[in-house]
Amino acid sequence: MPLPTPNRAHFQEQLKTLEISALGGLDLVGESFARALETVAHHDVELGSMVIADDDRIDGRYLEVHQGILSLLALQAPVAGDLRLVAALLHVIKHVERMGDQCVNIAKLVPLDGHEPPADDEILSNIARMGELAGSLVVQAKQAFERRDAELAQDLVRQDDEIDRLNKACFRRALEIGDDADAREWAMHLMLIARAIERVGDNAVDIGEQTAFVVTGLFREFEDASHPELSLDARR
Amino acid sequence: MTDPSHSGEQRADQGQDAAAPPRGERSQRAVAIAGAVAGHARRPRSPGGVIFSIEGVDVSYGGKLAVRDVSFDIREHEITALIGPSGCGKSTLLRCLNRMNDLIPAAKVTGTVDYHGQDLYGPQVDAVEVRKRIGMVFQKPNPFPKSIYDNIAFGPRVLGMKGEMDEIVERALRRGAVWDEVKDRLKTNAFGMSGGQQQRLCIARALATDPDVILMDEPCSALDPISTGKIEELMTELRESYSIVIVTHNMQQAARVSDITAFFTVEAEDDSGNRVGRVVEHDETEKMFTNPSDQRTEAYITGRVG
Repeated sequence: MPLPTPNRAHFQEQLKTLEISALGGLDLVGESFARALETVAHHDVELGSMVIADDDRIDGRYLEVHQGILSLLALQAPVAGDLRLVAALLHVIKHVERMGDQCVNIAKLVPLDGHEPPADDEILSNIARMGELAGSLVVQAKQAFERRDAELAQDLVRQDDEIDRLNKACFRRALEIGDDADAREWAMHLMLIARAIERVGDNAVDIGEQTAFVVTGLFREFEDASHPELSLDARR
Repeated sequence: MTDPSHSGEQRADQGQDAAAPPRGERSQRAVAIAGAVAGHARRPRSPGGVIFSIEGVDVSYGGKLAVRDVSFDIREHEITALIGPSGCGKSTLLRCLNRMNDLIPAAKVTGTVDYHGQDLYGPQVDAVEVRKRIGMVFQKPNPFPKSIYDNIAFGPRVLGMKGEMDEIVERALRRGAVWDEVKDRLKTNAFGMSGGQQQRLCIARALATDPDVILMDEPCSALDPISTGKIEELMTELRESYSIVIVTHNMQQAARVSDITAFFTVEAEDDSGNRVGRVVEHDETEKMFTNPSDQRTEAYITGRVG
């Protein structure tokens, strides 16, 4: 068979644009997430309000990509690899929107502690570490998708496990925080922040699952909490 | 989109302790996914036994090979679509299935085409009987220059079929989903029908001789979308009683109507430079259009080549 001659160039262009736009949403999330973490680290309520305001951009991106996907499905009837890509992008942009919401959740929790809360260094440092890991998962999820690199996508699980471990450590530390009402309230809020960070990591892993789907045509979860024995790691 | 009470994402997590193993909500999703996969067959069908068993079939015209080494089975109650670029041999193969190639003196078929376990090209096989059992519908509607009634009655009369002719005609027209539109003008000339009606008449005419296979060579390419929709709907109904093999250039039509798709391609032979067709992929249509196994199929159905 002769070498494929490029065809449907206009459609391919549209599909590429849609992918760039959806994955660009991960850049927006990355920025917003970094600011949300800074809000926590420096108890910077003003920065937090910027994170909240900026979520409109992420939501706008969601609507834009969603509409683009609908148009492409209606007008171009993509099939095979193209169809898998379009379906995956619909998931990706939803995860992007979810991660944006988690950044807002974090930003909204910070002012609730009042001025100079009774902070615990161990919890703060655990959360900072979780934030670093989750932030790098967002970057890696984007790279893996762009490069159609299923192995890099699978690797997201490894880092996510570390986030989960730190999340549990935060919880244990919060239990030991003592009887002081303010300290307990602070620890409670920080638990919610840890949870939000942990969810960002999960969304990044879910994007990795979509990458694997685009590449292999098979969808399966990298990790299944209800059947841990079936996770890919356990099968290795 | 953000819930002001920062509980947007946490709705799914209600009742979950923050320290519980994370990603707990996934269990429900996994079950849902398993269910969706189990129930993914898009319509009820019960493929039966093998009707055609095609094995190593080559077809040549005047010594020049047109299609090489085709092997696959065609089953009862299935619609098989043959797709591929022009010159890939899909119509040639279709015409092998009811010995239409016999009518072209220079055509030669080698390999085996078994029909219900019997060699279709065996010396004892009567080509007329073959074409009675294996009906064919062409790209352009080709009614005889006769009345609607006589179009349908022609085959049964030639074959001396037993039974009341009016009943045979009505039954065929009903199966062809054209009865309601023509029942009051059966004696008028078939050329007075619309293109879509003529095509359904041709399908009804093929059905009148009680075949078990209908071959369709681009049956909708001369029809408008409404007539096309009617024919596609009709094909789905006919599948209950017949096997259908359809050649189509309309990829979406293959995706809509068929259960099984065979993708043909055409490549230049290394030695002679002749362009010869062959089957690249034969699989369930759903698989083919979501996750084809062969790069050439992918390139063709996504429109990257052609």
